[in-house]
This record gives sequence, C-alpha cells and structure tokens, in this order.
Amino acid sequence: MAARRIASSAINWTALAERVPEGQKPFFLALKAKSDNYLRRVMANPEVAPKLDFAAYKAKIAVPGLVDSFQKQYEAIKVPYPADKLTPDVNAQEKQAEQDIKAFIAESQTRIQKYQAEIAKWDDILPFEDMTLEDLKDMFPERALDPLNNPTFWPHDAEEQLDYKRPDQPAH
Amino acid sequence: MMLSRLVRPSKSAISQLGTVSVVQGSQLPANSLCVVRCITSGTKAQAPFKEGPERDLVNFPRPKQLINPSPVRLGVFPDSWFTFFYNKTGVTGPYAFGGGLLTYLLSKEIWVLEHEFWGGVSFFIMIIYAVKKFGPQTSAYLEKEIQNDLDEMNAGKINEIEGYTKSIENEKKSQFQAEGQKMLFEVKRENIALQLEAVYRERLMEVYRSVKNRLDYQLEKTNAERNVQQKHMVNWIVSNVKKAITTESEQENIKKCIGDLKALAARA
Repeated sequence: MAARRIASSAINWTALAERVPEGQKPFFLALKAKSDNYLRRVMANPEVAPKLDFAAYKAKIAVPGLVDSFQKQYEAIKVPYPADKLTPDVNAQEKQAEQDIKAFIAESQTRIQKYQAEIAKWDDILPFEDMTLEDLKDMFPERALDPLNNPTFWPHDAEEQLDYKRPDQPAH
Repeated sequence: MMLSRLVRPSKSAISQLGTVSVVQGSQLPANSLCVVRCITSGTKAQAPFKEGPERDLVNFPRPKQLINPSPVRLGVFPDSWFTFFYNKTGVTGPYAFGGGLLTYLLSKEIWVLEHEFWGGVSFFIMIIYAVKKFGPQTSAYLEKEIQNDLDEMNAGKINEIEGYTKSIENEKKSQFQAEGQKMLFEVKRENIALQLEAVYRERLMEVYRSVKNRLDYQLEKTNAERNVQQKHMVNWIVSNVKKAITTESEQENIKKCIGDLKALAARA
C-alpha cells in the first residue's frame, strides 16, 4: 500500500497564477490542463472498489465451491500500488531550481542596488533651475560650454558649426 | 525670462515672501536686507541638494535666482527699506522720513517741479495703464515659456528616475515570480501522486470488474441451464401426456364433460 493516498488537489492555483510571468502563461495553462486531467482520471474511479455480494451469488450459482473459491481469491489478492520513481527526480530538480532562484535573486538585488545608486546620483546634482553655468561645468563637463579649449558658434549646437555635414548630403 | 516676474508678481508669491521675510527678519534683524533678497524660488519642493564637505554655506550661501521680485510698498518702494527703518523708528518712521525729505527738497527748491516733471507724471500714468492692461497676458505667456524651458531641462532627469524606479519594480516582481517556482515543484509532486493514485484505482477496478464479470458469467450460465432444463421438462411432460391420450379416453372425456355440463345446468 502507498505511504500517501491523494484524493484531491491541494494546490492553490490562483496564487501560483499570480506568480507566473507573462511570457510563460501558455506553459502554465498547459500544466494546469494536464494536472486537471490527472485529477479527473483519479476521480473517474472510486477510492475503494465496490463490495461484491458473494452471498447473493452463492445462493444463485449452482456450481458448488465456485463462489467460495472466488471469494477466497478475491479477498486474498492485494493490488500493488504503483512504485513512485519520479519524486526523487523532482526533488533533485527542486534543489537545482532553488540554487538558481537564489543566484537570480542575488543578481537581481545587485541590479536593484545599481538602479538605486543611479537614482541617488540625482540627489548630488543641483536642480537645473538653480544651476549656474559654472555648476553645469562642474557637474556635466561634457555638456557645458568650453570656450577656451573648444570654442563654438552661437547657438552652440552641432548644426551651426563650421565642420557640420548634413547626414543626407554626400561628401564632396 | 525675469521680465514676467517684474511685470506682475503673483499675489500669493508676494504674500509668501512677505511672511517669510518677517519671520526671518525677526530672527536676523541685521541681515534682513539680505534675507529678503535671498528668499527666492522654491515654489516646488525639491530634494535637498548635498553640498560638498568643504562648502561654507554660512558665509557663502548658494546664490539663487529670484523667481519673483522683492515685495514693495506704495507700489514702488522696496519693503526692505521699511524693514530697515522699522527697527530704529517703528512703523511710521519711514513714512515720516519720506514725507519730511520730500517737504525739505520741495521747500528748499532743491527739487524744482518744472513743466517737464508734470510731463513725466502723465507719461508715468500711461505706463501704469499699459502695465495694468497688457501685463497679465504678457506675464501668463512668459510664465508658460519658462515652465516649458524648465520641463525641457528636467525631462531627461525625470525620465531617468522614473525608468530606474520602474526597473526596480520589475526586478522585485521577477524576484517574486522566481520564488513562485517552488510552488511549481509542489504541483509536479502532486501530479505524480495523482497519476499513481489514478493507476492504483484503475487496477482496483480492473480486479473488481474481472471477478464480477466471471461471477456474472457463472450466474448467467446457471440461469440459462435452468431455463433450458425447464423447457425441456415441460416439453417432455406435454409430449408424454399427449402420447397417453387415446380415442377411447377422449370419448370418455367428452362424455364426462357432457355429464358435468348437465349437472351444472340442473343446478342452475
């Protein structure tokens, strides 16, 4: 006999569905369909086989000893519960997956920290409306004007410079 | 850009500045002039900016662009002048000083009001009219332009912060979803158990059905045998009885029947 008999599904499917990423919904639905199918297959048959009314048969069947021998054999037979060979595999998979999840979460945390650092960077930068041109040069050296080393023509954008070439114009 | 602020300072901004200047003025009387000048922008709440560790903010506060002009009294005189007088002379001091100075200048004919002055007055009236008439529209238009400029400047920053915030949210969500995988293994184990159970139940039913089928077969067989035997017995009896009937016995039968009928008729 089995160590564990199962009669109904104990899985909280709604909670699981919440945790499924968008891209994997079809897989999740397929899994759910399969699981439902298995459950239906279980439900198709009763948990215990119905009783045979041997007394009635004995009263009606003329062959002497036949029903008795049937009854003896029927009661003696032990239906073997199928051996579970896959649970260890699943457990191993789970262990592997746990490691993967741990690694993924650690990576994710480092990414979050990176993003938070990027957000915090703006705390160290003066609001643009309070900046002077010197502040701009201090905080964004590559964007500020640099008239000594790299003088430019007003209004200091790329189109107005002498060496500007329009992208659609062939070089001559 | 500052023109709009000069043309029409909004009332609320002025009142704000006024209250702040009074408060700050009472705390720092000597510095009140500077305080009024230094109170600026700040209509929007901004994240505090972290200065460098060596920055001396007490002696060298960070200069800020004045969003609205300093408040004035009587339309033209800066409020800071009155605040300056207030500590020495009280409320009426500046007015007394102004009136006295004007009287002195006029009576000593240091300031001579010749016809050019009256021309200036009419010119000034026209300027006031123009400001009152066209000021609000100009101010609104220029305010909008300034706001556009600010939005444009801040768009990149805001986008970046929003993008990173969204990324953090996504990361947290994917962490949550990754942890959901553990439930997946529960499902897998349960699926295995369900399949095993299904097979077990099918086997039970198989045994039950085959035994029942055999018993039913035996039952049917017994019933059929009985039927056949019964039929055979009936046929045999009937045929034997028929064989036993001869012509004499038939006539005797008929006579007996007629006799019975007569007896019945007599009784009726």
